[in-house]
Amino acid sequence: MPRKPNNSRQTRALLATFLDRSQIWRHGYDLSKETGLKSGTLYPVLMRLSEQGLLESRWQDPERPGLPPRHAYRLTSSGLALAREQARTEAVSVVSDPSGALA
Amino acid sequence: MSAGVSRWRRIALKVVGHASWVLPGARSGWADAMQHELDYIEDDRAALRWAIGCVTASYSARLAALPRLRWRVSSAPVLAGSMLLFIAMALQGHASDEASLPAFDETTCDLPDMTPDIRPRLRCGTVRVPRDHARADSGSFALAVVVIRSAQQPSLPDPVVYVSGGPGNPLTVYAAYQARNPYAPRRDLILVDQRGTGRSEPGLCPDLNSTLLEATLAVAAEDTADVMVKRRAAFIACRNQAIRRGIDLTDFGTSVTAEDFEWVRQALGIERWNVYGESYGTTVAMTLLALHPGAVRSAVLDSVYPPDPMPLWSTVVRDARDALFANCARDEACSTSFPDLAATYRETLDRLDRHPLIVDVQPQLRQPDDQVRMTAPLFEVLVSRLLYFPTAYPTLPRVIQSVHDGDARGLGGLIASELAAATTANRATNAAVECRDRPHLRNPLPAGAEALDRMQLYGVCEIWSDLGPAPRVPADTSVPTLMLAGQFDPVAGPSSSRHVAALIGRNARLVEFPLAGHNVRHFSPCGARIAADFIDHPELVPDVSCADRNPPIRFVSKAQMP
Repeated sequence: MPRKPNNSRQTRALLATFLDRSQIWRHGYDLSKETGLKSGTLYPVLMRLSEQGLLESRWQDPERPGLPPRHAYRLTSSGLALAREQARTEAVSVVSDPSGALA
Repeated sequence: MSAGVSRWRRIALKVVGHASWVLPGARSGWADAMQHELDYIEDDRAALRWAIGCVTASYSARLAALPRLRWRVSSAPVLAGSMLLFIAMALQGHASDEASLPAFDETTCDLPDMTPDIRPRLRCGTVRVPRDHARADSGSFALAVVVIRSAQQPSLPDPVVYVSGGPGNPLTVYAAYQARNPYAPRRDLILVDQRGTGRSEPGLCPDLNSTLLEATLAVAAEDTADVMVKRRAAFIACRNQAIRRGIDLTDFGTSVTAEDFEWVRQALGIERWNVYGESYGTTVAMTLLALHPGAVRSAVLDSVYPPDPMPLWSTVVRDARDALFANCARDEACSTSFPDLAATYRETLDRLDRHPLIVDVQPQLRQPDDQVRMTAPLFEVLVSRLLYFPTAYPTLPRVIQSVHDGDARGLGGLIASELAAATTANRATNAAVECRDRPHLRNPLPAGAEALDRMQLYGVCEIWSDLGPAPRVPADTSVPTLMLAGQFDPVAGPSSSRHVAALIGRNARLVEFPLAGHNVRHFSPCGARIAADFIDHPELVPDVSCADRNPPIRFVSKAQMP
């Protein structure tokens, strides 16, 4: 059976992180630290979300002299809707799961 | 504090750079994103882990774009195999960057001011030297090297190697000038851009060079804690940038540079050479002489940059300035026009302290409103710079008198030429070498320090790198050594040259040049002739009588003031 898109544990973790303070632009290494995803996992997900129009990106000016510009990301409105939908689904599944509710 | 982080970081840079190769075209922006992110990771090993993950990601994305392959083979073994192959490639690439044996890699000569008579005499190229001469696996830097064949053929054996000053000054770009002004006309001449200078690697903070210079000049102009903090911040930014690029700041210093020269000598297949050091280049020359005396036939130390402990720079400048003022007092024309130049100079500083002069400068200098505020400390710095050059001596009293009288005309041109000279040197390389060499720069700014002393790297070196091996003085060397010292030299006055000559011992011959400044040979035909004779016959006592026959300074009188 084909896998449901954007439903892997890694993608859900990333979307949940973006949903928290959704207007903030995030950077690759910071996302890696927040989600625990290694760069080898993180970037394929970022690329896929971007190509699906769920993620927008831009280059930001260096934070300090001598540093290079930095690539930053945040969810588009479609991405935000998906992330909210996933969050709602997960909340329902937790509530409907007695062990989860008690945890 | 250690500045060394380089190996893991260097490999990380190579590894993440591979992502660009794996992700071409529309996705190359992602490779850039991964690469730039590396600069925001402080920990070197974390950076390497990040880089390896990035290449995994890029291979994964590349494979995902190949649907047929994806269906025919499992992606995991392909990814693993590719990763292993690529890491091997990265490490191999790292290894192939080593300077295993000294070798001269000849290239075309792309140098300015070449003329048909000079071009055929030049051989240009690079010599790869180990970043750390004690570690063969430390990677390498390519040094720019130019060999200038003597205009007189057949040339004599044992060429001259000229070691330029700074530290931080470029050299090979001036090959045309050097070819026209040889140190020993019958010998070949070797020019090397020292590591971190000119066209040699590494390019240390080239984009921050002007920032570092401005910060240094601001320290000269204003005695405030704020400007010292800003300068420190500029150097910290440079240091961090260098480290992020995998440059180990302990791979600098005179002892390293001296080993570079020895490596170049071997690469060029030279059995022995004559070493001509000028200004800071004398520090390298003396260290080379101490470490590899068998490879040096003779040495000339022109305007010795004295070893630590050094007197405060402001006191050396003051002695030179006072000597020039005394010369003016003894000169009839000068003393008539400027009866008490020393007093006039002191009054000028007082006046500038109370009312700095506004000097109009050219727009190219990019100063706010095209103006520079001439404060007393800045004027002291300017006068100290003029003391370097005998060509400036005739007009120096007039310049002082003009500023004393509130006339800033003419200062704009002086400022422009000084800034142009100052911007040719690499400030970061200067710090990289001085901070390894000079223990006194780790001390607090000494009591009695003046503007000139504040311009030194006090407050910078402690955050830059660890102290390295001290430059050497070749005590009791058997190599014949000629020393040239100018009476008004504001860096290397006669007294410090006498001190160094005593340390070197019986084979040092010091010649003092009245009315001369820094870089004696450059301004004195007599000095050039003595040096050339000495290089050709180091075993003979040179005829130095012309040194005392310098024509008097033709001071510009007050009547000639505009």
